[in-house]
Amino acid sequence: MPNSNFKGGLKIENPYPSNEIDLIRIPLPDKVVLPMQQRIGNQAIPCVSIGEHVLTGQIIATIDDDQCAPVHASISGTVTAIGNHVYAHQSGLKGLCVTIESDGKDEWVDTSIGCTENYKACLPLTIYDKIRISGIVGMGGAGFPTHTKMRLAAGCKNIIINATECEPGITCDAALMQAYPTKVIRGVEVLLHITGAEKAIIAIEDDKQDSINELNKYCNNERIEIKVIPTKYTSGAEKILIKTLLGIEVPSGKFASDVGILCLNVATVVAMFDAVVENRPLISRAVTLAGSAIKEPKNFQVRLGATYDYLLSFVDLEEGSHKVTMAGLMMGINLKGTDYSVSKNTNCIFIDKAQESVVAQECIRCGMCNTVCPVELLPQQLYWYSKSENIEKAMDYNLLDCIECGCCSYVCPSNIPLVDYYQFSKALYKKQTQEKAEIEKARERFEFREMRLERNKSERAALMEAKKIALKEKMAKDRSQKEKINAALERVNAAKIDNIEEDAS
Amino acid sequence: MRQVIYALVLGVGAQIYFFGLSVLIQIVLGCITAVAAEAVFLRLRGQTIKPSISDGSAVLTAILLAISIPSIAPWWVIVLGVLFAIIFGKQIFGGLGNNPFNPAMLGYAFLLISYPLQMTQWPSEFISIAQASETIFGLSSIDGLTGATKLDYVKTQLMMGASIKEIGSISISQLWINIGFLIGGIYLLFRRVILWQIPISLLSGVLVMSSILFLIDSNHYASSIFHLLSGATMLAAFFIATDPVSASTTPLGRIIYGFLIGILIVIIRVYGGYPDAVAFAVLLLNITVPLIDFYTQPKVLGK
Repeated sequence: MPNSNFKGGLKIENPYPSNEIDLIRIPLPDKVVLPMQQRIGNQAIPCVSIGEHVLTGQIIATIDDDQCAPVHASISGTVTAIGNHVYAHQSGLKGLCVTIESDGKDEWVDTSIGCTENYKACLPLTIYDKIRISGIVGMGGAGFPTHTKMRLAAGCKNIIINATECEPGITCDAALMQAYPTKVIRGVEVLLHITGAEKAIIAIEDDKQDSINELNKYCNNERIEIKVIPTKYTSGAEKILIKTLLGIEVPSGKFASDVGILCLNVATVVAMFDAVVENRPLISRAVTLAGSAIKEPKNFQVRLGATYDYLLSFVDLEEGSHKVTMAGLMMGINLKGTDYSVSKNTNCIFIDKAQESVVAQECIRCGMCNTVCPVELLPQQLYWYSKSENIEKAMDYNLLDCIECGCCSYVCPSNIPLVDYYQFSKALYKKQTQEKAEIEKARERFEFREMRLERNKSERAALMEAKKIALKEKMAKDRSQKEKINAALERVNAAKIDNIEEDAS
Repeated sequence: MRQVIYALVLGVGAQIYFFGLSVLIQIVLGCITAVAAEAVFLRLRGQTIKPSISDGSAVLTAILLAISIPSIAPWWVIVLGVLFAIIFGKQIFGGLGNNPFNPAMLGYAFLLISYPLQMTQWPSEFISIAQASETIFGLSSIDGLTGATKLDYVKTQLMMGASIKEIGSISISQLWINIGFLIGGIYLLFRRVILWQIPISLLSGVLVMSSILFLIDSNHYASSIFHLLSGATMLAAFFIATDPVSASTTPLGRIIYGFLIGILIVIIRVYGGYPDAVAFAVLLLNITVPLIDFYTQPKVLGK
């Protein structure tokens, strides 16, 4: 029997509690800024030009890459810029973005080619393709293209719908489930149809009672189970969720698809349902706005590409300097300012009153981090070796199994930003292995060249040898021929002399 | 660190009750030396002084050492011990968090080896503060008032052929001091300042080893109760072996670490040449910590 609990983890109070969770629809933004780079994979290439009029739902950028999904216009209007804009990333890097200014009409492109209600009559491949061209990616934060994930998990036995929303303070999935419970259930039915899986489990934490009730009301499919799990941070981390629900450990370095499980976020399921059944590509999402500088936390259904500032105009924001966090307090990233736009994986924006930054002190090896690590690593050992850039040792302590959940940093009495160290080490490891691979490649190339030169040399030597022998033989032959000619000549001469002698006599 | 210092109050109180306020003189001397040495070395190492001083670790080291040595030892004993602990036990490795050995125990071992006479003369009865300060600062000697500890006495008597029954049981002062540290330790466990693995396994180690010996020959080996409530057993279990910096950090590793210290304490007490064994047992296990940690890593999810 799978244990509904896991080792480590943290019980964290919701820092921004609210009485009710509603999904608020807001007016169309005047302009949207759509980033072309989505997570890993290549950057999508814009297929529109400046000044072009685009319709809502029209593909504006695409690329032939499994790690990448197409980007759609989220409003109708005119493309006003294609250029570099700041991405919502800690580094503050700029990347290619398409800016569209709204014409206020929200005219839709014809997206009716597809499966609609009759999806059951469609081939799974047709549906995959529909999901791909609808630009669906993992909306829990990872942003991995859903069609690729589904293809990797083809033939899976179990589907897990991650509705845990375990990061404290985020409520956008809960709001979505309360607003569209039928879409969730029917979306899961679509998934069951395409994958042919035996069972789907919707995992949800026990603090979302309203969402649980709503889902239960509409769920009457015996292949779908709604499983309520205790509220504890990192319950929603894919590998931990799989262990909790099914008792299966995903081997280190492998993915859920390797053990026959497809794991999707609940918001992704709703987006996929919209794409397959309602022919709506991914152009909007639910976003939580909360923080100590915001009076009442709110959830908005907002078009992608809407700016943070636009969203913030719908909440009561306290004056003063702010700390902006995207994607959660535990695993999210701190941003400088609010000059960003909502992307497919922006699940929350937290605006907190700026606080004095705490100074990290020495690690005293107290071991608090061991006790909270949900994958049972030894964070302080990893820290020790990361700090000294001893990557080999860090690998002995399973560096790559760290899920960067941030539990260790949260409990550290010395306030050490542990996860930063691990991220650094992982990057260093990647670089080192790449370098190693390159060195290996160069070595192989060198050895091959040496081998080739050697081979050429010996081949040439053999050839020369053969030629020499042939020449010798030929010369020997020549000699014997010469001798024969000479003999013949002598004979002729002798005959001539005989004749002359005979004539004379 | 503060919590640990507060938790020492009961045990130190018992020491004061039995031996007099001289204990406090040692603590004050130790603390002043520790803070001064720490500050000087931080300055030499080009570190900021304030955060490291205010974490209380130097003061804790000084207190642990001060209550481990005889309360009427000359002033230079504690000063030298603390200097050795802070400089060679801690700062030389890079300060807090980087020291492989427990600094207080390193200081204790240094003192015990270098000044065995001063380190084994405990007051045999309550001594007034005036008398004590005269002794500590070398103005007079109180030879008549000092004696060996019970552990030492038992060892000597046993070697001379006496049986356990003739020697008698635990001394009252040792009993109460140990109970004081036990209560302080339980407080730390409840506050989750320390984790249960090391204290429980250490006490189990002492219990198991002393029981084995007692069962072999109850005439020549002291009982488990004696070992648990004499000398620095409780202080070691809750305050010394639990120093996180020099202890093992894995859950299983902590149990092994504590248990082996417990076993070693009894072995060194019974067969060793020194009256108490905590310092050597802890230092020996400190050396093995990287090895224990490496081989007791918990099973990572998916491995």
